[in-house]
Amino acid sequence: MSSEPSIFFSDVNERQGSFLRRTFLLGGATVLGLAALSTRLGQLQIVQAREYSTLSSNNQFNFRLTPPPRGRIVDRNGVTLAGNRPSFRVLVVRDETRDLDETLDLLGRLLPDTLERRRSIIREVNAAPRFVPVPVKSDLSWEEFARVNVYAPELPGVMADMNEARFYPFGGAFAHVIGYVAKPNDRDIQAYRDRGEEIDPILYHPGFRVGRQGVERTFDEQLRGEPGGQRVEVDARGRVVGEDVGGSRPAVPGQDVVLTLDADIQNRALEVFGEEAGGAVVMDIRNGDVLAMVSAPSFDPNLFVSGVPSRIYRALADYERKPLLDKAIYGTFPPGSTFKMTTALALLDAGIDPSERVVCTGGYRYGNRTFRCWKAGGHGPQDMHNAIKNSCDTYFYHLCNRAGVDRIARVAESLGFGHTYEIGIAGQSAGIVPSTRWKREYTEATRWEDDPNWYPGETLSVAIGQGALAVNALQLAVMTSRLANGRKAIMPRLVKSVGGVERPSGAAVPDLPFSREHLDIVRNGMAAVANDVTGTAYRNSQLGLGDILMAGKTGTAQSRDYRAGESRGPRNAIWNRRDHALFVAFAPHDAPRYAVALIIQHAPVGGSADAAPRAREIMKVALLKDPDMRSRIERPLPPPPAAEATGEEPDNFGAASTPPAATQSAAPAQTAAPQPAAPSQEGPQ
Amino acid sequence: MTASALTRPGERDRLPVKIAQLDWRLAGLVAVIALVGAAMLWSVAGGSWEPWAGNHLTRFSVFFVMMMVLALVDLRWWYAMAYPVYGAGLLLLVAVELVGETRMGATRWLDLGFTSLQPSEIMKLGIVLALARWYHGASAQEARFHWKLIVPALMLALPVVLVAHQPDLGTSLLILFTGVAIMFVAGLSWKIVVAGIGSVLAIAPMMYFFVLHEYQRRRVDVLFNPEADPSGSGYHIAQAKIAIGSGGFLGKGFGLGSQSQLNFLPEKHTDFIFPTVAEEFGFIGAFLVLVVYGLIVAAALRIASVSHNHFGRLAAAGVTATFALYVLINGAMVMGLAPVVGVPMPLLSYGGTVMMTVMIGFGLVMAVKVHRYLELPKGPGLL
Repeated sequence: MSSEPSIFFSDVNERQGSFLRRTFLLGGATVLGLAALSTRLGQLQIVQAREYSTLSSNNQFNFRLTPPPRGRIVDRNGVTLAGNRPSFRVLVVRDETRDLDETLDLLGRLLPDTLERRRSIIREVNAAPRFVPVPVKSDLSWEEFARVNVYAPELPGVMADMNEARFYPFGGAFAHVIGYVAKPNDRDIQAYRDRGEEIDPILYHPGFRVGRQGVERTFDEQLRGEPGGQRVEVDARGRVVGEDVGGSRPAVPGQDVVLTLDADIQNRALEVFGEEAGGAVVMDIRNGDVLAMVSAPSFDPNLFVSGVPSRIYRALADYERKPLLDKAIYGTFPPGSTFKMTTALALLDAGIDPSERVVCTGGYRYGNRTFRCWKAGGHGPQDMHNAIKNSCDTYFYHLCNRAGVDRIARVAESLGFGHTYEIGIAGQSAGIVPSTRWKREYTEATRWEDDPNWYPGETLSVAIGQGALAVNALQLAVMTSRLANGRKAIMPRLVKSVGGVERPSGAAVPDLPFSREHLDIVRNGMAAVANDVTGTAYRNSQLGLGDILMAGKTGTAQSRDYRAGESRGPRNAIWNRRDHALFVAFAPHDAPRYAVALIIQHAPVGGSADAAPRAREIMKVALLKDPDMRSRIERPLPPPPAAEATGEEPDNFGAASTPPAATQSAAPAQTAAPQPAAPSQEGPQ
Repeated sequence: MTASALTRPGERDRLPVKIAQLDWRLAGLVAVIALVGAAMLWSVAGGSWEPWAGNHLTRFSVFFVMMMVLALVDLRWWYAMAYPVYGAGLLLLVAVELVGETRMGATRWLDLGFTSLQPSEIMKLGIVLALARWYHGASAQEARFHWKLIVPALMLALPVVLVAHQPDLGTSLLILFTGVAIMFVAGLSWKIVVAGIGSVLAIAPMMYFFVLHEYQRRRVDVLFNPEADPSGSGYHIAQAKIAIGSGGFLGKGFGLGSQSQLNFLPEKHTDFIFPTVAEEFGFIGAFLVLVVYGLIVAAALRIASVSHNHFGRLAAAGVTATFALYVLINGAMVMGLAPVVGVPMPLLSYGGTVMMTVMIGFGLVMAVKVHRYLELPKGPGLL
């Protein structure tokens, strides 16, 4: 070892020898230790490598659900009725803020309204997991969004992003048909549990919405689409640092739903209601397509998308004209005189000669009470045509029991009353079509009255569309379409196609069980109502569209029983004590295409003055939208060259269309007798 | 250069001769580790010299030159400075106890105004020098089994207790093990060695319950049951194991370690740098790093064994023992074999203080090599 002689003291040598042995041991121990570490390395990196690789990718990658874009709902011409719009929001991640209070102070300077909600924001942020972004404000304007982005470096833990929000561009016009979407609630989650299915995790996504009402609800599954997955790379704080494109699955957008509605007609239909409440339905009588279906007053479904404030919800729910209720299909009303076509068909069906005359003296005495015609002086001798034209009650009082209530009910049902329709919206009422069987069952079920027997006296009320009869606007439109079509028992269709798949047309249905002659008699009566100068709605049914004429029928229905001798009181006195006004119409009367049914709940005047002009305005839009009709209007008429008013729809509903209001209001189509509708105790006679 | 020339008196004190005697092999191995460390720091910073890798390299360059200079310092200077350094270290430890700065619940730092100082680092070298000097003057019998052994035992016990009280269990254990290693290689009787190991095994459970701090106890708990608290104390070990294990045989590639790049691995640039090596370079890379560490230890022990003076032998062995302990404790810690005690991987981890201690230590080792033929007299080491 050493080339030089060293000190040869034994002690020194012993120290050196011992040191060398011990150092060798020390080195050996170190090598053993390193070998142990290498063994451990091998165990972790070779034996357990797979297991730790999995753990590592679990760390590195997160699978994030991306909500699918919800399918659009469009009208027959492709106009978007329910779509998605970009929405900017601001989110706060507690974990990344230095100090939540300080951050909210700064944010409050950029978005002053977050200061007002500061307490609830802090509560929400603290309730969420540390690194989960909590939305603090949605629907930012572009300026607000830009401002937050500009100050982003000074706002750690605050981020602004864009997502999609449901948007209803027409607001209230389609609210009842389309419905709205809302955040999934506990009941939606419970529904999955009840079905025994696994809860779709997309329900917990903050941006996800489910259909709550109308088409949005019925076709929720198709509109929803399939959520995508995004495999994102995250760091230890859960912040996304990158996307793994290969591991991501794009969201499948929901299917589009095409409705048969026409946005122009629908918008006009809601517009003409003005302040009034009620429902209107427009149908294409050739195939049953519903072109418009409105309920007034309406509400803005956009309010419901991000959760309606309870103050607004209360106001909507408490308003006596009930904006949340669908008055086109859910609300039912007595049809009043619009039911007289039904009664007339039943009379014809019973073999009554339409030329048979009944002399109207202003009332009809049955048993020990008098049923009054709306015209106190009476109409004089009336055949069926005139009885429809003049809406003479006496005629129907007189003859109805020769047809019998069951025959009337059968005709009513084949014209469309008493049914709900598969149009893709829940919440329809079937209404009531009284018959002997109905009364028996109803009495038993409800103990409404003690006597389950039907008395002929009750038939008198039903014949003029009062009594227990209850119909909705859709049923009235179906009835009008069937009368106008004259051949087919047309079915309404609201949803044209879903995801490109056409839904069955409403024309592929059996024929009506009525003879052509009978239908012609009724239809001519309706034409006379609108076009005979003595018809009840002559003034308010003139379309002013060349030779295109409308046929229709007015109706004024009591909304309550008037006790004997009770005055109706001043008109307009109390809204919910007024009569309902109805009008049904189709046009052109010579080659029918469109049917309109309109109900004004508690109208100020009556069927001809309140309902007819509104129905006419709606009908005009429907006709003008039809290219065939347009060319017919614009074609110069050779024989009488006085084809006036070819042009655009005179947008002057209201004042101009009811000019001589004084004479008009004196002749509303009063239907019902001022007596109690049909007290059964007077029936047996 | 012939052997006869070197035997000429004074020849070995000439600077060119000394420089020729420098151990370039040891210096090269040390540099390899430091360069691997710089590469890993570059990687965990997301491929950037900022904030760690650049500093690491700069410091290493400075300390490397310092190591070389220290290697040329006459071993008699080291011998003379042994007790003063130890004494100063002890005084500073007492000063820390009295006026130390408290950071994160531990009083380890002395604020010197311009910089803060950890006296426990000085003591790591101080204990090596002091014990080496004491044993240099002791006979074989005194080193084996003698009442005078109370002196080195006390020399060791004082700093261990003071550092443990800061509390800094890691450094305290490091000083203790270093001292024990020197006493062992100096020739401590096997009976005492065995008895000592036995009593430590007996006392350890009692230490756990009565001496350890709450956070230290938790670290020990976590070692035996890491899944008990994966987000708290067990998080470090769990994530380090995932990093190592997911590296597999060949590793994920340089700069591609998801565990460290995405911050799942805490303290990835200091105590947990080794898992990053294992993650990015796999078993191959990590094993090679351990081999280099082994070669460093072997080279240093070789120097210890060729020294002609007992002080040099013991000092070199002591420094080597400290270094090996660093490596073994850190390696065991990051692989879930030992509690988390805050001991970095020497030269690989970022951190100036430990690097300085280690490089001064290697300066001493190389000085032992350069002056291996020096005959040191017993007694006060005056030049």
